[in-house]
Amino acid sequence: MSTRNGFLQRAWNGLLPWLVPIGILLVWEASARFGWLSVRILPEPVAVVKAGVTLAASGELWQHVKVSALRATTGFAIGGGLGLLLGLLTGSFRKLEIALDTTLQMIRNIPPLALIPLVILWFGIDETAKLFLIAFGVFFAVYVNTFHGIRSVDPALIEMGKSYGLSGWPLYREVILPGALSSILVGVRYALGFMWVILIVAETISAQAGIGYMTMNAREFLQTDVVLLGILLYAVLGKLADVAARLLERRWLKWNTAYGNGI
Amino acid sequence: MNIDTSELNRVKAAVAETPGLRIGIGRLIKRFGERQVLHGLDLDIDAGQLVAIVGRSGCGKSTLLRLLAGLDEASGGDILLDGHAERDLIGDVRMMFQDARLLPWRTVIQNVALGLTGPKTEIRERALAVLAQVGLADRADEWPNRLSGGQRQRVALARALIHRPRLLLLDEPLGALDALTRIEMQRLIEQIWRQHQFTAVLVTHDVSEAVALADRILLIEDGRITLDETVQLARPREHGEAQFARLESRVLKRLMTIEAINSRNQILGKVTGILVDSVLSEVQILTEAGLVAATVLTRSLAEQPLELGAEVLATFKSNEVVLATTA
Ligand SMILES: Nc1ncnc2c1ncn2[C@@H]1O[C@H](COP(=O)(O)OP(=O)(O)OP(=O)(O)O)[C@@H](O)[C@H]1O
Ligand SMILES: [Mg+2]
Repeated sequence: MSTRNGFLQRAWNGLLPWLVPIGILLVWEASARFGWLSVRILPEPVAVVKAGVTLAASGELWQHVKVSALRATTGFAIGGGLGLLLGLLTGSFRKLEIALDTTLQMIRNIPPLALIPLVILWFGIDETAKLFLIAFGVFFAVYVNTFHGIRSVDPALIEMGKSYGLSGWPLYREVILPGALSSILVGVRYALGFMWVILIVAETISAQAGIGYMTMNAREFLQTDVVLLGILLYAVLGKLADVAARLLERRWLKWNTAYGNGI
Repeated sequence: MNIDTSELNRVKAAVAETPGLRIGIGRLIKRFGERQVLHGLDLDIDAGQLVAIVGRSGCGKSTLLRLLAGLDEASGGDILLDGHAERDLIGDVRMMFQDARLLPWRTVIQNVALGLTGPKTEIRERALAVLAQVGLADRADEWPNRLSGGQRQRVALARALIHRPRLLLLDEPLGALDALTRIEMQRLIEQIWRQHQFTAVLVTHDVSEAVALADRILLIEDGRITLDETVQLARPREHGEAQFARLESRVLKRLMTIEAINSRNQILGKVTGILVDSVLSEVQILTEAGLVAATVLTRSLAEQPLELGAEVLATFKSNEVVLATTA
């Protein structure tokens, strides 16, 4: 095959996955323009972009995104931090595992969203309630994977470390933590996904600011374009969190050929 | 506990006249639950000797080595190093395992420097120096999983050497290597041992390896030493020599008779074909279980000729058997 043909072939292959989405967008835009699709059901794509530009220009959009992102990261830091700490402790000390693990495993069976009525009773509908729900949901994903990661560190490597004079913190730093890291990061990624789900539910129930507040507000005024914009924003933030987790994996697990590409 | 090795070595140099440790083992017993593995083993090893231990799979070779390395507690008896309790000198003992046990998340040089404390540049210099001794200075900053099996073992050797051990324990460190790499590594170990003059205990299931390297070959049978051969061949030893072959076949025969009594991990069969190649040859053996192809060194075929139709025992290590379901 000639190089020219090869180039066309590659361009076509690169384009192929985008044909269907672009087609859908075009049909959607056309349906809205020609009035086949009520704006109340689905606004045209261009309207969503316009809504985004307007809200961004007024600064309102960033305000909401900031509140939501801060809410999510604070809840994640609390729940994930506690999960990491307890996972490290129960993973490293048998006594603590015996004392705590059964309790934690029992609580783990409670779906965080089932707690919503109780949480509203406890904390009302303000910020604390949302942070609690996010932290609760995120905690177990990190805890379980940290515990498992510590426990599955190759005992042969630990024995080797000990026979080279390592113990206590140096043994932890050189052998145990790095050995558990890939499992911990799996937990982090899973927790990040979960974090957005809980945030969305919590913000939809009640909020005075944030993306959820923006969409619920827009719903009352039948601003479908803003509602759609909010949904897209959640998707983008979720994707960003996932990309961040992936970058961490690449950086910290670069020795592992499955993640990085070596030095 | 971090041992300041440089300090320790200075003290040591003042105390010890020889770099190697003298080993005295008396009535050593090891039990795992109900099961007794070592039955009152007695053994003395002179400072600076290279002793090879052979024996069939499961006879307690690794158990003995792990006790010497202080990785397990004996159930009875005692181990003395230079006349002292083992615990006092355990920092002078280093072990090389069959799998290199390198930390995959540390670079080659970081692995070598594991457990050392002191100024970074000094440590790096020392680590580079030992890496150069094993011929891997140019791979210092790579990840271990980029190295071949033989190279990983050389890194493990460097990691042991940097502590200037007075007793080096080697538990089948070459067991997983191909024949050529193996011979290369044997030469390297011999050269480094002669240079550093530490005491070395090498567990191997390759009798020719034992004959090539050891001052003394011990056979462990049922947790006891049943053969103690001093090897007086001049070094470096050539596999082709008549004396070499005689000794090798004597030890092998002894091993075979033990193998014949125990029916674990072996299949009896008849040689039906021999395909000779320059380095490795293939021997086809017809067993009850079907045709088994064994790859052997052409060199050892020359030393111990096999004939078509000869009865042979194919043995394999229990930890190298892979079980796959047939469904
Ligand atoms: N931690 C342990 N717990 C229970 N039994 C053990 C343990 N370690 C070893 N054994 C048993 O002790 C016996 C001797 O084992 P060892 O590993 O010393 O054999 P070996 O001579 O090194 O064999 P190989 O040549 O296959 O490596 C075996 O029967 C083994 O099952
Ligand atoms: Mg063994």
